[in-house]
Amino acid sequence: MSRISEHPILGKKEEGREVEFTFDGQKMKGFENEPIAIALKANGVMIHRYTKKEHKPRGLFCAIGRCTDCVMVVDGKPNIRTCVTPLKEGMVVNTQDGVKAVGM
Amino acid sequence: MKRYEVIIVGAGPAGLSAAIEAAKKGLKVVVFDENDKPGGQLFKQIHKFFGSKEHHAKIRGYKIGEELLKEAGELGVEVVLNATVVGLYPDKEVNVRINDEIHHFKGDTVIIATGASENMVTFPGWTLPGVIGAGAAQTMMNIHGIRPGKKILMLGSGNVGLVVSFQLLQAGCEVVAIVDAAPRIGGYGVHASKVSRTGVPFYLSHTIKQVHGEDCVTGVTITEVDDHFAPIPDTEKFFEVDTVCMAVGLSPMSQLLKMAGCVMEDNPKRGGQVPIVDEYGETSVSGIFAAGDVSGIEEASSAMIEGKMAGVCVAEYLGYIDEEEKDSLLKVFDADLNSLRQGMFAPKNRGKLIESTEEGIEISKNLLKKGYVKDDEIERFPGVVHKSGVHPVIECTQNIPCNPCQDACKKGCISTGKNITYLPFVKDGSECINCGMCVASCSGQAIFLVNEDCGDGSATVTLPYEFFPLPEVGTVGFGLSRKGEKLCEAEVVSVKSVGAFDHTNLLTMKVPKEYAMKARFFKCS
Amino acid sequence: MNTVVDRSIDIGEFIAQPDDDMLICRCEEITKGEIRKAVHDGMWTLTEIRRYLRTGMGLCQGQTCSRLVKGIVARELGVSPAELEPATARSPMRPTEMRIFGTEEV
Repeated sequence: MSRISEHPILGKKEEGREVEFTFDGQKMKGFENEPIAIALKANGVMIHRYTKKEHKPRGLFCAIGRCTDCVMVVDGKPNIRTCVTPLKEGMVVNTQDGVKAVGM
Repeated sequence: MKRYEVIIVGAGPAGLSAAIEAAKKGLKVVVFDENDKPGGQLFKQIHKFFGSKEHHAKIRGYKIGEELLKEAGELGVEVVLNATVVGLYPDKEVNVRINDEIHHFKGDTVIIATGASENMVTFPGWTLPGVIGAGAAQTMMNIHGIRPGKKILMLGSGNVGLVVSFQLLQAGCEVVAIVDAAPRIGGYGVHASKVSRTGVPFYLSHTIKQVHGEDCVTGVTITEVDDHFAPIPDTEKFFEVDTVCMAVGLSPMSQLLKMAGCVMEDNPKRGGQVPIVDEYGETSVSGIFAAGDVSGIEEASSAMIEGKMAGVCVAEYLGYIDEEEKDSLLKVFDADLNSLRQGMFAPKNRGKLIESTEEGIEISKNLLKKGYVKDDEIERFPGVVHKSGVHPVIECTQNIPCNPCQDACKKGCISTGKNITYLPFVKDGSECINCGMCVASCSGQAIFLVNEDCGDGSATVTLPYEFFPLPEVGTVGFGLSRKGEKLCEAEVVSVKSVGAFDHTNLLTMKVPKEYAMKARFFKCS
Repeated sequence: MNTVVDRSIDIGEFIAQPDDDMLICRCEEITKGEIRKAVHDGMWTLTEIRRYLRTGMGLCQGQTCSRLVKGIVARELGVSPAELEPATARSPMRPTEMRIFGTEEV
């Protein structure tokens, strides 16, 4: 489990409500309003997209919305920066392939 | 179109400090920030800051952030989040994207406090998932409560690399190595030492040859480099890791200033493209100011003072205060900033090899190369003394502007002398009451309380301990050396955690007396 | 525009290097070799390189690669990176969808 249950300086984190979302058709759980990328990381997902030209895997890199390497297809919309987009109940998150969802 | 007296871009330490100063003088202030939370990088800084009281010393960064936000709120500063400034023009016209609209604002003055972005270096595999920036690691663990990885290699030994490595340990990650192509550690020796004593090895004059993995990082190979940074054959070392973290410097995010037509320069001492500014941050465009990292990479502490300066200057620019008041305020800020810019890590000393302290003591070469002061080197520093009974041992060996230790001791045992950068020493004839305040207040975790001879062949060492789980009294484990190697058996005899220590627990371990001046960390067996 | 670059300098022929396949611009997937070749094709300023190869024109807008590209171009031209003027900075500073410009509020 990669979540820090209690931190020596910051203590216990107040989490939002637990919500369910879908990643590439698979049901997963995360906390409401945490970045999508954090919920994915807690579920062990490393690859967010494959690049357009070389088809290489990319994942979280800057985690503050600058580098855009973590973009995915969220609720049908591509290029969503998952590191700064809050998770909502029932979200449909898909690995991005170039500029579209994988397998689309 | 909406008009403000001052528009500030960036709600980090510089921007908020500027907003507070300007609002105090009665200006109508708005701060735009593209992030969904204010505070810039302050909320990721969970270590205690250096400096003196005026610089918020010994207060953890995120608490400083909370204080700034509260003060700004009380003064009626409007902070607009998720507001991305996409355009800035010489007439101080500001285009801001808020939600799905572009808004136009006009500022009578503008303060740019956009901070910096992380530099990166390339190596085969640097685009693999699992290779991240140090800032990303901080964001994940200190904001979102998630470990960036299990086993991590840190590239970069500047303060960011050292501080983030320590934070990774605090988050429960394993740091397998700190690697830097430079021949010497770039950050504070005390930051290196607190990581080193937990057992993290340093590889200076080393660089990443390759990161391995198909879908994500599975390992990393490093190699030694010569004086010209060329790899030396047959020096490769492999580490099995799932994460590689890069902390290789920052660049000012100064594009908005360039767009506005401010005269820019490329100044390597300031970290890259910076606006040419006067001593209080005004750019070549009248009424546009820059404060914080955007005008030169420094610490958050100096960014806050630069922000205050800009805030006062815009107040005078718009006639809210007169020149006399401005000058008297700036004089105080100037003195604060000046004291921060002293010592061996001052901007003017960047890149210089400093071989002795201001007191004329030879700097530990091992500290610069390996991250810890050797047993035979430590004795030459003024804070390291031998006395009967419990007494502080101050392993502060570099001139850094910092003095909370001096204020912490109610008995007045500790002094840094007349200059804030001097190495602290224990005053003759002073009486230590074993309260531990000096240990907890040292931002560099470099103070220990030692009883060299308890009379039964043992000694006690009290050390700062900021990890979980906290060992219980009676736990038997090992005393580790400054290098993090097992030295001897050790037993925890006391663990103190009080509010005044601010999460720095004081762990006292009993060790054989010959290790009194050698054992500096405790590890459960 | 750029003042430093004296176009009469002879920078020699393009010579392949072992790390030419190193990716530099993560967004547009441009390699070190492509950037070096562009210099030999006559693109000597960062603004030209950007138009020619799209380095720094992807989603991140050069946040990660501009410093790296600058270093490569400078080395190829035999000048210090500090002498090269950075590419033009213009609005929008961050990637912005066209529909957002369409709903511009004045």
